[in-house]
Amino acid sequence: MAGRAIVITSGKGGVGKTTTTANLGTGLALLGRKVVLIDADIGLRNLDVVMGLENRIVYDLVQVVEGQCKPHAALIRDKRVENLHLLPAAQTREKDAIRPEQMVELVETLKEDFDYILIDSPAGIEHGFRNAISGADSAIIVTTPEVSAVRDADRIIGLVESHGLHDPYLIVNRIRPEMVQRGDMLSIDDVLDILRIKLLGIVPDDQEIVVSTNRGEPVVFDRRTRSGQAYHNICRRIEGEDVPFMTMDTGFMQRLGRLLGIGGRRRNAN
Amino acid sequence: MTHRDVVKIKGGRGGLSLIIGEDAHIEAVIDGLRRHIGSSRSFFRGAALRLETSGRSLSPAELERLTEVISELGMVIAADQPETEERQRPRRAARRDGAARPLREEQSAMDEHAEERSVLIKRTLRSGQSISFDGNVIIRGDVNPGAMVVSTGDIIVLGALRGVAHAGATGDEDAVVIAFRLEPTQLRIAGVISRAPDGQGPRPAVPEIARVRDDVIVIEEYRP
Repeated sequence: MAGRAIVITSGKGGVGKTTTTANLGTGLALLGRKVVLIDADIGLRNLDVVMGLENRIVYDLVQVVEGQCKPHAALIRDKRVENLHLLPAAQTREKDAIRPEQMVELVETLKEDFDYILIDSPAGIEHGFRNAISGADSAIIVTTPEVSAVRDADRIIGLVESHGLHDPYLIVNRIRPEMVQRGDMLSIDDVLDILRIKLLGIVPDDQEIVVSTNRGEPVVFDRRTRSGQAYHNICRRIEGEDVPFMTMDTGFMQRLGRLLGIGGRRRNAN
Repeated sequence: MTHRDVVKIKGGRGGLSLIIGEDAHIEAVIDGLRRHIGSSRSFFRGAALRLETSGRSLSPAELERLTEVISELGMVIAADQPETEERQRPRRAARRDGAARPLREEQSAMDEHAEERSVLIKRTLRSGQSISFDGNVIIRGDVNPGAMVVSTGDIIVLGALRGVAHAGATGDEDAVVIAFRLEPTQLRIAGVISRAPDGQGPRPAVPEIARVRDDVIVIEEYRP
C-alpha cells in the first residue's frame, strides 16, 4: 500500500487546523479508508482531546522517533471508527525533540499500512512546522475569512511551495454567509483573489463544532449539521470525487447559499 | 574552507553587514549563514543586513534564495539608507554614493548599463518573500501583501501589486512602478514614500503607473 501523506497547516493559530484534521481523518475513515493522524504539535498536544482519546495514550511521537517503541505500538485505535488511528504528540517535550529526517522516515513507514497519513501541524513557521511538512506529499492550508489569517496562509503557501509541496489546497473555515452577503466578512472570492490556490472546501461557522470539539466527537459523524456535511464533502473531494457547490464559477456564493438553505441573493461583485 | 571564511557578519556604523566570500558557493553561503546565526537567532531577529559580496556577483536566483533564507532567519536585507538622509541628498549624489548599499559591487560594475538590465519573475510573490535586483523587475504574477520588491530601476507587475514596492532604490527618481492593479501597501520611489490612504475603497481595475512629480508620488491610469 502506498499511502498519501497530507499536512494540514495554517501559519496562524486558532483557525481550526486540529478540528479540520480530526474531521477529515474521521470522514476518510468513514469512507472506508485506513487513516492515521499524526499530531505534530509537540508540547501543545490537542488532537487526542478533540478525538476523545486522551486517556488512551501510552507512547507518543517523540518516543517513536527515538526508537523507544515501534510506530505501531504507539498508535491509538479510534473508539468509534475501526480503521482510524492516532499517533499523539508528546506533551512534556519540545518541538526540537524531533528532526525533519526522522519525520520523513516515520511517514514512509506508515505509508506501507495506511491510505492516508494526515499530519496536524503546529501554528507558526518554525521548527515544528518544518517537521510537520517534511514528510508530506501535499498540503492543505486552513484559513478563516480574516485579513490576518489570509496573510499568514499566504506566507505558509510560499513556504510549503519552496519546500517542494506544489499546488496546496485551501479550506476556508468558519465562513458566515450572512456576514459575507452584508459585506462584513471577506468572501471566498476575496480570499481566493489573494491566495490563488485550489479550493478544497468551505466550512461554515457552526455552533455544533464547538459542542462536538468539547465532547471529543468530530462533527463529521453528524451529517445533519452544516459543518459535518461540509467536512464530508471535503473528504469525498480528497478521494477524487467531483462534489458540487464548491466549484469556482460565477454564482458560487449563490449556490453556497442554496446549499446552506439561505436565500441566494446575487452578491454584487466588486 | 570553514564556514567562517564563507560568510561573516560584521557590525559597523551602518548596522550589520553580511560579508560573502569571493568564491563561495551559494549553498555553502546559506549553510554558513544558518550556522553562524544558529544559536543566537533571537539576537539577530529583526536585524537588517547589508550584503557585501566582495567581488562575487550574485545572480537574481541566488539573491532570491539568500533573501528567503535571511527572512526565514528572522532578518531582512537592508534595502536602503534611512529615508531622511535620502530626501536631503541631491539625486546625482545619491547615485554616486551607492557605497553602503546592497548590490554595490554590481552597481559599480554595471555602471551606466544598470538601468537596462531586467529580471523576469514568473511567479507570485507571497507574504514574506522578497526580490531585490539591480535593474528593472518584471513580475508575471501578483505581489501579495507582506511581500516586497526592491529595484534600482522600474518595477512592472503583470498582476496585482498589493505589497511594498521600492523602485529606483539607489536614488533614481525617474523610476516608475506599473501594475495591472496597483493597490500597494506602500510605494517607494527613490527617497519618496507614500502609502494608500487609510480606509480607502477598491481602486479602479485598470493598469496604473506611479511616478515622482514634485517630490510626491503620483498615480495615474497607465497609457503607453
